[in-house]
Amino acid sequence: MPSNESEIINENARNPNRRQRPMTPEWTDRLKTLCKCRHNFQKTGITWGLFLSPDTLVDAARCLFQAGFFLEDISALDSANGFVAVYHLSAYSGADRVAFYVILPHDDPQIPSISAVYSGALWHERETMDFFGIHFTGHPDPKPLLLPEDMTDHPLIKEDKNRAPLKDLLDPGEIVERDPDFLFFEEVDSSTEEMTPEGQ
Amino acid sequence: MTEGDEQTLIINMGPQHPSTHGVLRVVLVLDGEYIVSATPVIGYLHRMHEKMAEIRTCVQYMPNMGRVDYLNPLGWNWAWVGALERLAGIEVPERAEFIRVITGELNRISSHLVWFGAYILDLGAFTPIMYAFEDREKILDLLQPISGSRLTYSFFRPGGVANDVTDAFLKDTLAFVKYMRDRLPMYRDLVTDNIIFRKRCEGVGVLSLEMCQKYGATGPVLRGSNRPYDIRRAEPYSIYDRFDYEIPVDEKGDAMGRYRVRMAELAESLKIIEQAVNQIPEGDHIVKKAPKPRWKAPKGEVYFAVEGARGKIGVYLISNGGNHPYRVKLRSPGFSNLSLFGELAKGHLLQDAVSILGSLDLVIPEIDR
Repeated sequence: MPSNESEIINENARNPNRRQRPMTPEWTDRLKTLCKCRHNFQKTGITWGLFLSPDTLVDAARCLFQAGFFLEDISALDSANGFVAVYHLSAYSGADRVAFYVILPHDDPQIPSISAVYSGALWHERETMDFFGIHFTGHPDPKPLLLPEDMTDHPLIKEDKNRAPLKDLLDPGEIVERDPDFLFFEEVDSSTEEMTPEGQ
Repeated sequence: MTEGDEQTLIINMGPQHPSTHGVLRVVLVLDGEYIVSATPVIGYLHRMHEKMAEIRTCVQYMPNMGRVDYLNPLGWNWAWVGALERLAGIEVPERAEFIRVITGELNRISSHLVWFGAYILDLGAFTPIMYAFEDREKILDLLQPISGSRLTYSFFRPGGVANDVTDAFLKDTLAFVKYMRDRLPMYRDLVTDNIIFRKRCEGVGVLSLEMCQKYGATGPVLRGSNRPYDIRRAEPYSIYDRFDYEIPVDEKGDAMGRYRVRMAELAESLKIIEQAVNQIPEGDHIVKKAPKPRWKAPKGEVYFAVEGARGKIGVYLISNGGNHPYRVKLRSPGFSNLSLFGELAKGHLLQDAVSILGSLDLVIPEIDR
């Protein structure tokens, strides 16, 4: 990570009252996202929320690895719009957390494994497999981690009536860039139309 | 030499092995005394805390936090109330923040003392754990009257802490700081400078920074590899920015480095406690409108991280405004720290595996959740 950027982040960390407004970091230009959202760290603990398609996930992880981020955790979320795999990555330099969101269909959820980039993902992915039944393609050892090997249920899958729509669960914050086909937050869209919703 | 070769021997270390502290199993493939591969098997203590969060209210979930990690329950208390406070925008009274810092750092010391005693015990020295538990006992005696428990504290509340502290507690805490400072040189003379102990730790399990980044190692494990990353500084929370303390690091990255970092942290925590006790203001210990058990968290998504005794404790909370949290993810530092053991142990002697496991400071219930 370039030093000037980390200084900005540290400056924000020292002045929690100052509005968190880091410059758009250089690595975001190299990412292909469906939707790029800027969050207020003081309010949500996240600086950037990036919605990705499964095929761009591994490249995005590699890009963040090169930018000096480490993997905090991988989890998932069961919503009415499908499963959402959530990846949290954090910088060593200061209060900076990036969240990847990958929306997957309820029937046959498949997502590539990022364990070739972050070896720590091996266990996190197995855990997510246990809890949600999401299949991580390319995982070298897709065995249950925490649950018994003969268990077929996935305890964190919700019943249909308990599933909430995505827009009730995730607050996109300020949408910086959005693919025209990405419509999960369309209500929020109308109020932020001037925020350059450009496709790619 | 590979797995399945006639020359190799597969043995199970654990789940009842004394140095695995709790129930961890490590499948070791050995070539003579050397480790060809090591595979930790976890899940024996899995209780599905994340599912439990979805069937109780935010305030009712509090006692679970003390049971995720029984050696550092206040770190987890803090991560959970911090997430709720960040989500609901609750301001915590100043006095409560000081009480959290004092009790949280006391808990860090008691956790490090258990690790210290148990680690040396794993390496074959029986006496130090007696000294460590004697000192830890004093911390438990301090925390018992104010929190009501000795091990699985549920002391923090969203918006403050459960009880105010008395002047007697503050006086006893200062006396403890003085007492503990005098004990640290004894630990150094007894253990740190001991040649047998050092031969077991120096140059064993050298962890590179790249490997730390790949596996997401945090806490003393990461700082033992010379990266001064501490959540109290990196993502400042509570009032840690008001105190004067160092972030100890060690450049070697071996088991001894991780040992030195934790021992140095004992002294730093004492420094923080002393400053906090001397500066604590009068006032409320909890906000007037603190959430009650049936309180509903507002809609939203929040991540909150604190520096626990073992590293970065994270709580990722999603609420849709309903009675219960919609989804809670607990990020446990021990989980990431243990996941690198397989790669780290390769090529070491079997006896060094014990030394490496101990130096990672594992608490299995926290890893399994």
